[in-house]
Amino acid sequence: MNVALIGLAFFSMLALMLVGMPIAVSMAAVGIIGGIAAYGVPFMDSIAPVVWGVQNESLLTSVPLFVLLGELLLRSGIADRMYIALSAWLGRLPGGLLHTNIGSCALFAATSGSSVATAATVGTVALPSLQKRGYPMRASLGSLAAGGTLGILIPPSVNMIVYGSLTNNSIGKLFIAGIIPGLLLTLCFMLWIAVSSLASGKVMREPKVPLADRLRSLVHLIPPAVVFGIVMGSLYFGIATAAESAALGVIAALGFVWQSGKLNRELLRNCFVSTARVSGMILLIVAAAFILNLTVSLTGVAEAMTKWVAGLGLSATGLILALIVFYLILGMFMDVLSMQVATIPITYPIATAIGVDPIWFGIFIVLMCELGLITPPVGMNLFVVHGIRPDKGGIEDAIYGALPYAVIMILFTLLLMAVPQLVTWLPAHM
Amino acid sequence: QERIKLKAIGQPLATGLIQKNKEQPFFENFAARTGLPIDVDYKPIDTLGIKDTEQLRVMKAGLFDIVSLRVSQNSRDEPTILGLDLVGAAPDYATGRKVAKAYFDTADARLQSQFGVKLLGVWPFGPQILFCKKPVAKLADIKGMKVRVYDQNLAKFIEMVGGTPVPVSFADTHQSLSLGVVDCAITGPSSANSAGWPEVTTHQMAIGFQMALNGYGMTMKSWNALAPDQQAKLKKSFDALSDDVWKYSEELFQDALNCNAGKDPCTTGKKFNLVNVPVTSADIDLVRSAVTKVSLPVWAEVCDKSNAACSKTWQATVAPVLGLK
Amino acid sequence: MSSDRPSVAVSADRVTPAGRVDFKTRLETVLATVFGVIFLGLAVIVTIETLSRKLFNISLQGADELGGYALAVGSTIAFSLALIGRNHIRVDVFHEKFSPRVQALLNWISMLSLAVFALFIAWVAFKVIQDTTAYRSTAQTPWATPLIIPQSVWYGGLVIFALVACGLAWRATRLLLRGDIARLNSDFHPKSAKEELKEELDDLKVRQASEGAPS
Ligand code: NA
Ligand code: NA
Repeated sequence: MNVALIGLAFFSMLALMLVGMPIAVSMAAVGIIGGIAAYGVPFMDSIAPVVWGVQNESLLTSVPLFVLLGELLLRSGIADRMYIALSAWLGRLPGGLLHTNIGSCALFAATSGSSVATAATVGTVALPSLQKRGYPMRASLGSLAAGGTLGILIPPSVNMIVYGSLTNNSIGKLFIAGIIPGLLLTLCFMLWIAVSSLASGKVMREPKVPLADRLRSLVHLIPPAVVFGIVMGSLYFGIATAAESAALGVIAALGFVWQSGKLNRELLRNCFVSTARVSGMILLIVAAAFILNLTVSLTGVAEAMTKWVAGLGLSATGLILALIVFYLILGMFMDVLSMQVATIPITYPIATAIGVDPIWFGIFIVLMCELGLITPPVGMNLFVVHGIRPDKGGIEDAIYGALPYAVIMILFTLLLMAVPQLVTWLPAHM
Repeated sequence: QERIKLKAIGQPLATGLIQKNKEQPFFENFAARTGLPIDVDYKPIDTLGIKDTEQLRVMKAGLFDIVSLRVSQNSRDEPTILGLDLVGAAPDYATGRKVAKAYFDTADARLQSQFGVKLLGVWPFGPQILFCKKPVAKLADIKGMKVRVYDQNLAKFIEMVGGTPVPVSFADTHQSLSLGVVDCAITGPSSANSAGWPEVTTHQMAIGFQMALNGYGMTMKSWNALAPDQQAKLKKSFDALSDDVWKYSEELFQDALNCNAGKDPCTTGKKFNLVNVPVTSADIDLVRSAVTKVSLPVWAEVCDKSNAACSKTWQATVAPVLGLK
Repeated sequence: MSSDRPSVAVSADRVTPAGRVDFKTRLETVLATVFGVIFLGLAVIVTIETLSRKLFNISLQGADELGGYALAVGSTIAFSLALIGRNHIRVDVFHEKFSPRVQALLNWISMLSLAVFALFIAWVAFKVIQDTTAYRSTAQTPWATPLIIPQSVWYGGLVIFALVACGLAWRATRLLLRGDIARLNSDFHPKSAKEELKEELDDLKVRQASEGAPS
């Protein structure tokens, strides 16, 4: 198997995706055609056990459960009230409501497994108030697009579940490993908002809210905090596996929805439809990825690439730097979940062979996905915040607004390279 | 002379030293080891994204020629082969070898007729033994404790002794032990060592619940494509490999037990200081009793449905070896 | 924008001008209910299992296995719902730059390819069923579940997915043959983030109206 042929297959897949073919079909088509070209009919018969194997994978059960959990909190209005409560607390910081955006994203991220859902949820709640109070649109859109990406770094995280199931790594460990980087990146974002706001000379702050009101508002932070505590606590203390912690979270969220008096058939129907749509999309891509993976592995693509990369004489640091560039470029054009599942079968063996820690690499991949979410031309979170903006204006506002955050993410990745313990310390102490 | 190219499914990469030091080198130097003009493209099953329970189906599809078959997992599709490795049948290597030898032809015939796969050898990961974080003096002490198990027969046995079986994946067991989700766990001492279980346990008891058997199989199609003298050479090579693995497995087992207990020689793992719980004849009797009380009846019920002669054949071939009536 | 695609936020009792709940909405409601019952039920069982294991030392042994089956069945239903909601992702950046005729062709090919893929999966899955029947496969778990039980339900879900995909592909083909490019493009173009968000915003409005929350 030579590198040129692999490149050709990879770029035809990319081309199929870019002309607008469904992602799952593009991946499966390249996998099936490649496999049959190499091995004929027996390859086709081998797909059957693979499809049942991936659909029956109990690890992936946590995907729909975590999606359902986020939907319940969103559609019952719990997320809306969370934003209002946080703005009372964070609004006094230089940058005002922009901090609330980041804080709300981080808090919602702690209950939702998806970045797009996080940006959409917080964005829909936040943008009308931001506009009314005269916050600059670029900064507002940028903070929401970037804050939303925290959805997959702060656990739970669909992308971590997919990474864990593709590479046989403990999902619990990956989740725990995401906590410190998630909090640090949140702080980096807020630091940037404060610094850039002070530097701009036009410092936005929210009026002071009386302490009594602020304390009263804390009650709205209880549901997300409790749900996060149950999910992460049960994982951290080994009471539950990832899927079990998701189930506990769903039941807790259901309890809060019921307590808020919103639990009715229509809310449930909407949650179910939404959850099914999102998880159906994700799981079809994952199933297609496993078919592609069979071809990739059988034809020795990973070995060929590993050999090729090893021939370049890269160190672990050199490899990761090269991968940052690779993922930065790929993430511009590809949907990040597809990018993740299409590349991990190749990059994971290379990285682990060269001595990169598998859990650290998982967090690295998630960061690269976050980056891809806010880089043009294909950046889902950019589309999301652009789609919700209440005024007229071009997509470039979202792009330029998110640009500083993309730079922060790359610098942050370099920080994790310099201090890998930020990722590996907490899971090692589970 | 034209060279033949075969594809093989191997053990998962993470299964340890047997895969790394015996299986992979054998397949990667296949021509030299067998003296046949055959090259093998060897792929550990986890790199293929195929679950180990699907091995027999994938073999039947004909994409691969050789498989390193995981017996317990694939008894899902062919329960007959579990007769090689019933819980309680083989508490030690000597018995394990006798059982495997007595049952080999039965398993081979069944795999050939059902899946077109010829069995070329059988070998063990080694005894799956008990690790606990609470003091145990005898096996019966696990009564009332939560024990990590990995399959149905083992779960029934733990229930029989009065423990609570908890199915936990291997990757999650370390944490489950550390936090008291389970008090005890069962696996091979070498796997336990490399996964760091001795960090979170205090006692090990070297009594084998199962041998964790595996086999080498080849599709009849590839087998029949060989000339009789080639077949003989191939069989001899697999016999040699299996024999080698049996010995190596026993060395590893002893070495890992030493490492876990902080004794010498310890060359393959990290040293810990677990208490070695001596195995008494009462313990062996208890484990043995699992065969007639639990694992045979449970297995017979499933197996006889798919293969009417299943348990009867076992009674005729293996039971005499174990001294059962 | 297609008029017959129900938004998530709209009530199940959405009524067409003819005064009847349309077929798509009804199918969606039925599938979503089954999906929801599966995963809510699973969440309840798994919660009970986890708590009873922690608190009372009792393990139901099998919640994990049940989760696997729930996913197998639930994911096939989710495939169909994602198909109806046009959620199977397609990249739309370059798509909009093509002429309407090219767009129509791409939309048709894309729907057709999904139908072919769904049929392919259903065909491949039939082999799984055949093998399971032939071997009388039984799960190696405490329950010793005969595999044919979960697998036949799973297979049913895949058949529904294939039927829905073929139905939609048939509709796209008819629109193409009729030359109704505008309709083809409006019903089958890649769903943009904007459309998805419209649903979210509608839902937000509903929430805020019901709450009197500040906007
Ligand atoms: Na999250
Ligand atoms: Na991008």
